[in-house]
Amino acid sequence: MFKSVNVRLRNNRLQTKGKIKAILRIWIYIVLIIGAVSFILPLAWMVSTSLKVDRQIFVFPPVWLPNPVRWMNYVDAINYIPFLTYTLNTLYVSTLSVLGALIFSSLAAYGFSRIEWPGRNLLFILVLGTMMIPLPVYVIPLYVVFRNLHWTGTFKPLYLRFWFGYPLFIFLLRQFFMSIPKELSDAAKIDGCSELGIYWRVILPLSKPALAVVALFAFLYSWQDFLTPLIFITKQKMFTLSLGLQQYQAQHGGTEWNLLMAASTLMLLPIVVIFFLAQKTFIQGISLTGLKS
Amino acid sequence: MRQRRKNLRNGLLFVMPWLIGFSFFLAYPTIASLYYSLSVYDMFTPPKWNGFGNYWELFHDPIFWISLSNTFYYAIFAIPLGQVIALLLALLLNTKVKAMPVFRTIYFLPTIVPPVVIAILWLWIFNTRYGVLNALLAGIGIRGPNWLGDPAWAKPALILMSFWTVGQPMIIYLAGLQDVPQQLYEAAELDGANWWQKTLRITLPMVSPAMLLNVIIGLIWAMQIFTLPYIMTGGGPMRATTFYALYLYENAFQFFKMGYASAMAWLLFIIILTCTLIIFKISSKKIYYAGK
Amino acid sequence: MRGKKLLVLVVCLYLLITGISGTSALGAQRTKITYWTIWTGFEFDTIKKLVDEFNASQNKIEVDVLPVSGLGEKLLVAVAAGEPPDVTAIGERNIAPYAIRNGVIPLDRYIKKADISRDSYISIAYDMLSYKGHQWALPITLMSCALHWNKGMFKKAGLDPNNPPRTIKELDTYNEKLTRWDSAGNIIQMGFDPAWPGWWPFAWVWYFGGKLYDPQKKKVTADNPQNVKAFEWVQSYAKKFGAEALQTFASGFGTYSGPTNPFFAEKLAMVYQGSWHANFIQKFAPDMEFGVAAFPYGPGGAPDTARVTVDALAIPRGAKHPDEAFEFIKWMSTQYALEKLALGHRKMSPLKASYNAQFIAKHPNPYIEVFYRLTFSPNARHELVMPVWDIYRKEMAVAFDSVMLLKETPQEALRKVTFRVQRELDRVLTKYKL
Repeated sequence: MFKSVNVRLRNNRLQTKGKIKAILRIWIYIVLIIGAVSFILPLAWMVSTSLKVDRQIFVFPPVWLPNPVRWMNYVDAINYIPFLTYTLNTLYVSTLSVLGALIFSSLAAYGFSRIEWPGRNLLFILVLGTMMIPLPVYVIPLYVVFRNLHWTGTFKPLYLRFWFGYPLFIFLLRQFFMSIPKELSDAAKIDGCSELGIYWRVILPLSKPALAVVALFAFLYSWQDFLTPLIFITKQKMFTLSLGLQQYQAQHGGTEWNLLMAASTLMLLPIVVIFFLAQKTFIQGISLTGLKS
Repeated sequence: MRQRRKNLRNGLLFVMPWLIGFSFFLAYPTIASLYYSLSVYDMFTPPKWNGFGNYWELFHDPIFWISLSNTFYYAIFAIPLGQVIALLLALLLNTKVKAMPVFRTIYFLPTIVPPVVIAILWLWIFNTRYGVLNALLAGIGIRGPNWLGDPAWAKPALILMSFWTVGQPMIIYLAGLQDVPQQLYEAAELDGANWWQKTLRITLPMVSPAMLLNVIIGLIWAMQIFTLPYIMTGGGPMRATTFYALYLYENAFQFFKMGYASAMAWLLFIIILTCTLIIFKISSKKIYYAGK
Repeated sequence: MRGKKLLVLVVCLYLLITGISGTSALGAQRTKITYWTIWTGFEFDTIKKLVDEFNASQNKIEVDVLPVSGLGEKLLVAVAAGEPPDVTAIGERNIAPYAIRNGVIPLDRYIKKADISRDSYISIAYDMLSYKGHQWALPITLMSCALHWNKGMFKKAGLDPNNPPRTIKELDTYNEKLTRWDSAGNIIQMGFDPAWPGWWPFAWVWYFGGKLYDPQKKKVTADNPQNVKAFEWVQSYAKKFGAEALQTFASGFGTYSGPTNPFFAEKLAMVYQGSWHANFIQKFAPDMEFGVAAFPYGPGGAPDTARVTVDALAIPRGAKHPDEAFEFIKWMSTQYALEKLALGHRKMSPLKASYNAQFIAKHPNPYIEVFYRLTFSPNARHELVMPVWDIYRKEMAVAFDSVMLLKETPQEALRKVTFRVQRELDRVLTKYKL
């Protein structure tokens, strides 16, 4: 569809476009940088406070560069509460959450996408619908259910919610699975593969980016989860990090701000590192799961 | 025939874990709470049937209406504005800027900060005398309001705060944008489209599924906002930040009115469901599905 | 040869370790009971030491003490689910709501058997835990609230540092002398701010002789004329100094526990605080010369009025070992344990016998005698023990805000409170046939 006139016009336009593009680029950078600075400002203050001594925390004008820099705050923060125990607890819960999310959400997603069976789509809509049920609706009876199962006071309520199918993950994986050509499954069937075999040998290996997304989100949600541990964990030895942060506050309103900030920074660190390294896979995965519902 | 039955069996087997979880940990508790909502229940004594009494009481409870309007106020401003900002950022980040991973991380970071920390950070930012926000405003000659202490400004403050965690929808938009085939843009350029037209005719339709997802998730979250106001303002001043979920919590855990709170929870469910359906209806005409 | 030595070493170590940790593999089975407390930090350490002492002093019961955040909510859920702790911390605020719902068990029978007498306690401490003729908890610490003033700031303003205001009128006069502005018109210092720290917005009514509740008629009397006068006094500050100006001033206050507490940062010369306040002064403003006296009273009020509160122990319904639970409570209620706890927490012991020279001398709070005297005063008051106090408190806070922001008149605000709380009260009274 190229006509010579169009080519010439296009070249002209591209040249001016080049100049506009350059100016535009500069503006884009400026906006992004201003935005980035304002987004990171609170976090910068958090890190800066984590290195402050008491008297420099709530002053005006605000102190940005602590003087003196107290690295000991981090050591104090770790000693103030059973930090290691809480970290291990949180790791334990998060690992099991990720495992469960990967296995069971993908199984369910497979069932909802790669097999044709009556009532499938209706049931899937139900899955989606459950995302809309607010927590307060079922949390108390849920507690009673867990109590009857003797699971209160254990970590089970914390990671099991990922095991029995997390609607968002089922949704994402289903979308992704639907984009894998049917011929691959058919070919495997002809070779005598069972559904489970197809799932394991064909679908899963092709789904690495989507699975990475699920793993990342599952880890993120469980690492940071506050409400579920709040409701179901009472023994201090079993606290997770997010609960543990509350212990920097005492009865009559005393809070060790600098230690709390140090602990928060430590708690954030793994996520930051993981996200930074896994960004590309992450975004690729989301796009591949296709928001083409 | 046999194949059909085999498929049914297989299908159900695969979704069995979800089905079990759903029945025990969602369906049963939800139905139980429906029963509570039709009873008077103080948690210590067994529930006593009350028919629609709780719902009747709710409609006559001025604080119920206050909490509902507070929540709607928040949602109506936070969701659209948040989406616009998220999309804008995604668009900017999608141009091949250098240090993109750094920018992306920075914008996403706030979404993983623990709520307690977010509360403290923003209490400091909103401080009338010493806070950064008012300091910046003073720099351009505006006398900043008493953000969290003034009933007129408390909600806007929280809405402003919600923009800080716009990183999550932003990532979803970014993913959606990467899906847009470059050829579409090139073809449009050939036809002489400028940036605005390209955005309107190509970009927006292509990310509309992402937008739908973000808006619905945003709606579900906004209607249930609880943790931050609970920590930062306790529902004040003068109940300006008493949102629906907060009032629900008060009734359930502080006023011993579990049945009443369950009724509130079910109403919330119905409201969210209705809004979602409305959004779906509106969007079915506007969303562009490339592919399936 | 080496292996054998190693084995012996290991066995010795094992015996040593199990010996030290005190878990005797021999001996009878101890009943394990759980005790939930709200205390953390140094307050928790104190109670933990006492619990360890109790455990070591006998071998029938072992107490496991847990700091529980959000104890009110967690306790509710635990009792509802049938799995409560055996002993729980409780305050006078929860007595009525729990009592009418049988959330905690009445301790009358246990108290009688253990020969614990009401007379050994300072009456207000004991009585605030009884409701409808039963005793629902036993107090283990005691606190009261009074005026604290910064003597240095008094001197600078030309006031006699040893002569605190005794009436509300004097308080207002002192305040005027102590208030300062900067060149831009912002308040930088005040004598007193009724809104700080805002923990007991209802308490001011007591200083004007107001009444919040008529138990005989079962009527909420939030808009009783004396209450209105009290709130008018509160509002006078907003009217005199400007609602917005006060808000701006208050927003610079920082947190209670830290050097930016307005009292420590010398932004407020006078505050209404409790017996624990001295701990924080010693920590954050050790050089401050301060005084403590009964808070001033207004027209209709009486001298030596004070808010008194306690920490107490109760046994939730459904506790698996209530008898053992009370054994522990009984031990905690001995003079020895109570005084040790009081000294560790820097509070008072609720026993009359503890009000003696030695205890006062040992006590780290230099003014503990003032606080003690206030608990004996006929005008000592406590938060209401009535079924809807939670709602009442909340509504009073809303009314206080509204009045301080000049959005409503005290009459209007308090009438709203009366209306709302009465409605809730009536509902509860009907439901529980009270």
